[in-house]
Amino acid sequence: MDLKLDSEELNTCVHCGLCLPHCPTFRITGEEALSPRGRIRLMQEIQTNDQMVTKEALASFETCIQCRGCEPACPSGVPYGSLIEQTRKTLVQENRILPRWQRIPYHVLTRPRLLRFLSRLLTIANKVHLIPKRFAIPKNIPFFNKPLIPSGTDVYLFTGCVMDAWQRETHQAGKRVLEHLGFGVTPTGDRVPCCGALHTHAGLGTKAQEIAENVINSLSDNERPILVDSAGCGAALKDYGHLLGTEEALAFSSRIFDIHEWVEKHIETFAVSSKLSLRVAIQDPCHLRHVQRSHRAVRNVLEPFVDEVIELNDDGLCCGAGGAFSIFQPDLASKARDQKIAVINEKQCDVVASANPGCSMHLQQGGIDIRHPMDIIDEAISLKTIPSDL
Amino acid sequence: MSFIDKIKNLIKPSVFEDVFVAELVAALSPERVRFDATERFLHSHDSSVFDEGNAGPICFPITTREVQTIMRISEKHGRSIVARGAGTGLAGGAIPLGAPVVVVMTKMNKILEIDIDNRVAWVEPGVINLDLSRYLQPFGFHFAPDPSSQQVCTIGGNVANNSGGPHCLAYGVTDAHVLALEIVLPDGEVATIGGLDPEPVGFDLRGAFIGSEGTLGIATKIAVRITKNPPTVRTLLLSFSSMRAAAETVSAVIAAGIVPAAMEVMDQRITIAVESFVGAGYPTDAAAVLLVEVEGLVDGVQIDASNIREIGFKHGATDVRVAETDNERELLWKGRKTAFGAIAQIAPDYYLHDTVVPRSALADVLEKVNEVAERYDLIVMNVFHAGDGNLHPLLLFDAREEGMLEKVHAAGAEIMRISLDAGGVLSGEHGIGIEKQAYMDELFTTEDLNHQNRLRYAFDPQCRSNPGKILPAGHSCADIQSLKNVPQGVWG
Repeated sequence: MDLKLDSEELNTCVHCGLCLPHCPTFRITGEEALSPRGRIRLMQEIQTNDQMVTKEALASFETCIQCRGCEPACPSGVPYGSLIEQTRKTLVQENRILPRWQRIPYHVLTRPRLLRFLSRLLTIANKVHLIPKRFAIPKNIPFFNKPLIPSGTDVYLFTGCVMDAWQRETHQAGKRVLEHLGFGVTPTGDRVPCCGALHTHAGLGTKAQEIAENVINSLSDNERPILVDSAGCGAALKDYGHLLGTEEALAFSSRIFDIHEWVEKHIETFAVSSKLSLRVAIQDPCHLRHVQRSHRAVRNVLEPFVDEVIELNDDGLCCGAGGAFSIFQPDLASKARDQKIAVINEKQCDVVASANPGCSMHLQQGGIDIRHPMDIIDEAISLKTIPSDL
Repeated sequence: MSFIDKIKNLIKPSVFEDVFVAELVAALSPERVRFDATERFLHSHDSSVFDEGNAGPICFPITTREVQTIMRISEKHGRSIVARGAGTGLAGGAIPLGAPVVVVMTKMNKILEIDIDNRVAWVEPGVINLDLSRYLQPFGFHFAPDPSSQQVCTIGGNVANNSGGPHCLAYGVTDAHVLALEIVLPDGEVATIGGLDPEPVGFDLRGAFIGSEGTLGIATKIAVRITKNPPTVRTLLLSFSSMRAAAETVSAVIAAGIVPAAMEVMDQRITIAVESFVGAGYPTDAAAVLLVEVEGLVDGVQIDASNIREIGFKHGATDVRVAETDNERELLWKGRKTAFGAIAQIAPDYYLHDTVVPRSALADVLEKVNEVAERYDLIVMNVFHAGDGNLHPLLLFDAREEGMLEKVHAAGAEIMRISLDAGGVLSGEHGIGIEKQAYMDELFTTEDLNHQNRLRYAFDPQCRSNPGKILPAGHSCADIQSLKNVPQGVWG
């Protein structure tokens, strides 16, 4: 079957296997079929030798979390993310994965009012224990959200879909931090309801392209930088150039900054006045570390505000959240989480910082006290200012 | 042919296969025994360029007892077995020939016991080499053999191939770091060979097993020697305007009585590829670079480093750089250790050779290797463990081109002969596997090979453990019965 993969991209893999230990599903199972090399070999066999896609091959592709931890580990520079996204896209088009009923939730993401309405229903249903535990719906979805009020026109704050409905407090915190640095912030709000990251990962590539075009159109009336406090969204927005392949999209992508990158750039202007007595372990979201590769900014930004920033000893191995992965593959997701929790427990920390809503919800389910770095900084700067001569 | 065999021949072969798989499933569990075409396809390959593999059922045991059961069931059905670790072998050692049971050891990956006082660790074979060293880090210890694939290869695989690595120049290869092994023999018997005593009594069966590439049985527990981390480490990077100068420096350093922890050479082409991946500051304009690491007490390291520097300049080094920070050092090593993978930036396939020549012959052999590559119109890159004369010429090609693979194999054969003519041996650390079987005749006499076969026979009289490897067909019992053919299924 033709998976419609770029044959040059596909052929960059020399099967050396150096990616294997960086793959969360290989780490859990030790199985070749659940490793990047195995998946690529299957893609090659299916496409180049025109083999059929067996159910085992489907399982191999469906169990990929798409954390892309294999990419920085690959000395040959195999564009694995692009390969698996295209593979899934073709398989969805051929109706081999993601049955139609499973596509319904993805339609909700682009309809903010409906999303908020359903979120409220979900909160109630969850309170009365109507939702099975394996769906891992967080307990603390707010019923009402305070609106995000624009404070100026220096930068956009990208608010997104689920994060805006479930974790708007973090947007508020990020906005206050930016304001503290002297930036007037315009939240993108409902006019840009979703970035399409989850659609791309699911294999709904065509829908993702549609969303991307909409996002670009809505935010192209000026050249303001667009700041993103969700690692997954940031990675997707930065990838629009590749997704759409147009000059316009490329120019748009160059306006995207992870909020930590932006704050880091202006950290000089930050009058650090107070520190929280916290030891913070950093959990790098995969799409910040392996895709955007701007995870160092999180440390530089957090460091002045806390007692200690602690590194986890797992080279940024994925926690298993993976957007909707934890819902579709609960078993692998919870095993990946167990690995992460074991690594966190090795360290003496008060709280874990994660710059992605998916990771934090997933790890919270595992009993980890986790906060967004912006929440921590916001708390620090809201403390009474200590006179500088002390 | 007995009457029962005649009857058996009348029945479809798949029926026996089904019974066989059903027994394996009953012994392990359904999710740890696979027999579908996709899994068989995946386990028919490793990192090498050989594609004649044909896997039978795939088993993922988690205990010694399960390995034992797999062995017994296979014996009952007259089937062979092949053990597999991370599948990073380059000589085809883990490629299943004749549809054997592939026993994947990656799920047996526990570090069982650490005894710091006696410097011993008991591990299961699926433990990843680097994971063990990382685990030992807080205690100030590590596992010395460090193959370039150490971040993924398993200790079991290291035992099978008697793996080396850059730092084996000073520390010795895997054999020097394994004290005892619990093994499951091909008939299912569990035995412990070697021992923790400093002077084990009797024949060194442990030594025979290490490097046997899975032909003597499967190791299920391994007692490894753990090594104290050195107090000081210094890494030097020497640049040269010719490969000859680099090779001569290597010989001169050893001749001066210095044994560095590692001495690695890379040529210009590979250095450029590596540098673009790691950005470690490798000089891309040098014809060859030499990476030297010295370790020990501060003063000794200082003296060694300055001596090496002097020797380098005397033999034509254009620049000598000392890594200032740990980070710089790590980046340099990361570059060296990912060298093989990095070549895909240049061509989609590579054939990596592994021969050993006397150190003094390095420069001449390298020149001849280049001649061969030129004659066959192939790109060759050189990256090697210079300290022990272990060459790794890489031939770059695109397998999609018609007739390319044959050309590459022919060039490879010539390189092998050049090494043998220079007084070298067939393999430094990757093993014989499928790759070099045919050349065993050229290194060993018939008598030698027959003796090796007798050793094999003592462990595995039916030749069911990794058949068709190491010993060439004429000297091996392997071709008698084990290379049974089972159709590969829909993905054939």
